[in-house]
Amino acid sequence: MIHLVMNALCSFMGTVSFAVIFNVPKRYYVCCGLTGMAGWMTYYAFVSGHASAACASFFGTLVVVLLSRALTVLMKCPITIFLVSGIIPLVPGAGVYYTVYYMVTNQLAEASRRGMESVKVAFAIVLGIVFVVSIPRDVFHGLFHSLFHFRRPEGKYSIYINERDEGDENRKG
Amino acid sequence: MKIRQITRDKDDYMDMLLMADPQKDMVERYLYQSEMFVLVNGGDVCSVCVVQLLKNRKCELKNIATRVQDRGKGYAAYLIHYICEYYSDVCDTMYAGTGNGKKMIEFLEHNGFVNSHMAVNYYVDHYQEPIYEDGIRITDKIFMKKQLDSVIDVKKVVDLALEAGRILLKNGAEIFRVDETITRICRRFHVEYVDTFILSHAIFVSAENGMEEAYTKVKQVPLSSTHLGIVAEVNALSREISAGKVGVEEALRRLGKIDNMPPVRGYLQVLAAGIGSGFFGYMMGAAVTESVIAFFIGCILYLWVLKAKKHNISKIIVNIIGGAIITVLAILALHLPFLGNIKMDGMIIGSIMPLVPGLAFVNAIRDIADSDFLSGTVRMIDALLVFVCISVGVGATLSLYNSLIGGMVL
Repeated sequence: MIHLVMNALCSFMGTVSFAVIFNVPKRYYVCCGLTGMAGWMTYYAFVSGHASAACASFFGTLVVVLLSRALTVLMKCPITIFLVSGIIPLVPGAGVYYTVYYMVTNQLAEASRRGMESVKVAFAIVLGIVFVVSIPRDVFHGLFHSLFHFRRPEGKYSIYINERDEGDENRKG
Repeated sequence: MKIRQITRDKDDYMDMLLMADPQKDMVERYLYQSEMFVLVNGGDVCSVCVVQLLKNRKCELKNIATRVQDRGKGYAAYLIHYICEYYSDVCDTMYAGTGNGKKMIEFLEHNGFVNSHMAVNYYVDHYQEPIYEDGIRITDKIFMKKQLDSVIDVKKVVDLALEAGRILLKNGAEIFRVDETITRICRRFHVEYVDTFILSHAIFVSAENGMEEAYTKVKQVPLSSTHLGIVAEVNALSREISAGKVGVEEALRRLGKIDNMPPVRGYLQVLAAGIGSGFFGYMMGAAVTESVIAFFIGCILYLWVLKAKKHNISKIIVNIIGGAIITVLAILALHLPFLGNIKMDGMIIGSIMPLVPGLAFVNAIRDIADSDFLSGTVRMIDALLVFVCISVGVGATLSLYNSLIGGMVL
């Protein structure tokens, strides 16, 4: 249990600190942290359930991207902000290290196993992002709004609506 | 030929104003709440006009007159064009009221005004003396209007759109966002035909509005650091522009301001890198002591990254040396006697994270998903290169250490 809480805390804090490095505006820090945390906890759940790292990364990425898209609609800001920060915990930094480590220590079999795994994880992330990003924006917005009954984002449909009562001031002479 | 705004002693031009509006008290009714412009040619004031700002982004051209000897030279048309551009920033529509005489209406129509509404018997009710034009008595006041946003120069719009695109691309936006922003801004200002070609480090825009020749501009955008805050700001601004709340001039001003938005202060970035390294290290299975060391390594690493960025050192070198710094520090920590029995991998994995090209990786994937294969490939190579460089830095240091110590400790 403690382990679970520590994992959540670490992924949250880690993601937030990367949001700082990427110069994300302060008001989005918490959302970024939550995205990263959700992604990592999904990954962690799958790995604990003896799924492969690639499979876990795929589902972790799915959660991150879905959450990012939802947050984008809610907070009206670019999706990059949440996506980039949220993906960071899933990026196979460890895999790269172990590949190099085993290569240097001349354990080539282990190195290639780790290397292949990193590549698989990277592809899983790619697939995860591509799947969700490819849902057209309108479909996603429609889905999201019908699910949660939110207002449509303003700005998109409010071009040129204040044309009424033109010339009223002039008519007085 | 120069145009000047007159803010004081507007009465000095009364004799010219009276040519267009013959009753003095009627002129005085609007003169002091209005803005006045004069066209000066060779030291003489040739034309004068008065514009009054109204509510709801509207304004009215109250008076426009040209000296008798300068008529027919296009001064007034030039002046109208100037003030239309001048007010296009704060107003959507310009009105102009005139008598029902042919000449003036034709002049206004020629300058892009169309009929709006009229005040019947206006000149009979408000003026003591009857007014005649070409022998016909003027009775009604005809109001004409002009949509100001249609007069804006294509070049100006494209420059604005391109600047917005450049700032987005430079700070780490995706290709489709840059494309969408440029098109959106151009459409808002009635530049209907826009073609864009956007690479990861250059923007090409060609645009026309059906009246003038096509205008094409190319902008190189060197790869630089990420500032997602700026991306968010420009995105918000472009939404405001397409909702019609912001004019060209104001948008340019705000873009300039956004472009100069400072990044998070250096020591905060260093601290963030350290904290990120520590927490990710712990998350990937390092012990508490190792995480604390990862924190310090992350801080030192980022000091190097910031320093290198200041001196424009190549990305390849930054990452190779960055990887080396991490490994050297981790090995040093390994040999500190009071730290007890610690392992190296947790520390290194944690402190590698600040170097990991998360943004390039994600953007590459998104560009490819949007079928921007060219930019996606370039960014993917960028990301892969960074991975390879980190590996080289870490690997070279490890193998050096390995051969020094004889392959025992690792």
